[in-house]
Amino acid sequence: MSEKQLILVVDDDPDLVEAVSMKLESLEYRVAKAYDGEEAMEKIKEEKPAMVILDVMMPRKNGWEVCNDIKNNDALKDIPVVLLTAVANSVRTTSYTHHDGKTTLADDYVPKPIDLDKLMEIIGDHCK
Amino acid sequence: MNNSKDSIKDSVKDIFFKPRVLVVDDEVRIQNACQRLLAEEGCDVEVAENGAKGLEMIKKQHFDIILLDLMMPGMSGLEVLKDVKSHHPDTVVIIITGYATLEHSIETMKKGAFDFLSKPFSPQELRLVIGKAIEFIRTLQDIATEKSRMRVMINTLTDGVLTTDNQKRIALANPAFLKMIGCRKTSVIGHKVSEFITNSRLLDMIDQAINEPADTFAEITDEITIPFSKEKDDIIIGVRCIPFRDRLNRNLGSVTLFHDITALKKIDQLKSDFVSMVAHEIKSPLNSILMQIDVVLAGLAGELTEKQKEILQKSSNRIKSLTKLSTELLDLSKIESGLINQEREELDLVELTKSQIAFYRDQADAKSIHLTIKETKKEIWMMGNRLNMEEVMSNLISNAIRYSPNGGKITAWVDEKTDCVKITVSDTGLGIPQNELEHIFDKFFRVKNEKTRHINGTGLGLAIVKSIVDAHHGTIEVKSEVNKGTIFFIYFPKSEYTI
Repeated sequence: MSEKQLILVVDDDPDLVEAVSMKLESLEYRVAKAYDGEEAMEKIKEEKPAMVILDVMMPRKNGWEVCNDIKNNDALKDIPVVLLTAVANSVRTTSYTHHDGKTTLADDYVPKPIDLDKLMEIIGDHCK
Repeated sequence: MNNSKDSIKDSVKDIFFKPRVLVVDDEVRIQNACQRLLAEEGCDVEVAENGAKGLEMIKKQHFDIILLDLMMPGMSGLEVLKDVKSHHPDTVVIIITGYATLEHSIETMKKGAFDFLSKPFSPQELRLVIGKAIEFIRTLQDIATEKSRMRVMINTLTDGVLTTDNQKRIALANPAFLKMIGCRKTSVIGHKVSEFITNSRLLDMIDQAINEPADTFAEITDEITIPFSKEKDDIIIGVRCIPFRDRLNRNLGSVTLFHDITALKKIDQLKSDFVSMVAHEIKSPLNSILMQIDVVLAGLAGELTEKQKEILQKSSNRIKSLTKLSTELLDLSKIESGLINQEREELDLVELTKSQIAFYRDQADAKSIHLTIKETKKEIWMMGNRLNMEEVMSNLISNAIRYSPNGGKITAWVDEKTDCVKITVSDTGLGIPQNELEHIFDKFFRVKNEKTRHINGTGLGLAIVKSIVDAHHGTIEVKSEVNKGTIFFIYFPKSEYTI
């Protein structure tokens, strides 16, 4: 890893964004932050992050919509997206992506409460 | 003889009923005898010496009983009888006749006479006949009173009542019912129900009740929604439909009761909305706190002492169990508010069980528990909601793991019977005491003893399982022996049997 990779963390809870950011920074990532869906889209277009950590339930534009916008945009679709959601518990991970029907486009999915180590592992896999 | 005398007095004693009797006879001797005797018995007695006079008096006021001589000058008794019966059908007519042949009696009975007395008659005979007539009148009055009482009662009920005959013609429909179905007409009696009711489920229920076989007596119940025009909300009505029968058990018709449960449903929805709002509002900050603690624990906010780490770890665990509780509350409120009925699909339970077992493999291994699926058939299908079914299996398996000591054995399998599929989850765990078995599906119930004290749980898992099983028209059973283990059986109707 020659250069520090940029990770965009999006959640409407600033405390959560801060906590995730601290963890990421401790692992030598650079971090961009956004607090709603619209802001997230702006940051993605501006800064072209290596990866997006995206909360589902947010004001203005929700995580599903942001994810669809990324994946339907040829310039952005290769950016990996990890969705965070409090709706489903961990057991549902297995079937979530192919049964919700709203989106099947996220690259991965982490339930809340977030297991930070697991999230870091997933990010590590995508940002080799 | 005293008996008959007493019996008349008994019937006359009723303060509401003093029978009015008219004696129509041209013989003064009989007039006087009847008048004296009946007055003694507590009747109001009046006399007419011929038919025309008698009819005139009857026109003016009502008589309960008429004693009518057949052979009179002028108008004959039979003519008077005919007139009375056509204009005053409720009046009881007793014929007095000089030559009581059988033909004659039959003739008068056919024309509507209640009974006859042959001249000469004794006071006892008169008392007997009058006594019978009074009983008859009282019975008619009782029926009329009962009818009127019933009508007032049924018409003032706020629940709707509809009764039909076995040809599905309306026999009774109270105002509450007519209002519920939005019917403004008042004369629905005698019409077919299908002329006024458009709800096909309701028509089916009435049909089913009327055709219910004699050896069964089942109440058919359902909830129907009656959509209203835009300015009003839909109303939801609990409907109960029952056949009614004669003494030979033949179906005479149906009685249907309508209870407006819209308000109850609304309260239920409010409750669910409230629980789900609270759960969300609690979950989000808890998640945030957990992350912050994790970051501190990871040393990202400065070095920690071992003691500080230990305390933070404990608080983190406590918060995790709180978030689990709020997740389960959320699940339960969703299930109860009917979300569970969405998105049914054909599911392979064997595959689903296998994937759940794979998911819990690590947790089982950590306690050296032998977790396996017993091979039955390659695939077994049912109609259900995938997330719900995963929740059911996940709860049963994770419970089995948590309540089994190290080195235990957990086996799950799926069977197919002729009309149902059966899921079994068996463990060699702590077991559930017999007296607690009946409560294990209650919300927030947990088996509490020295062995379970250190096991985390919210007491909602099995309540969720039960709600899901119910919503899929299934049943769940449990058998358990303390220190031996527990076995859960779940039965679901096969997809082709699901309505």
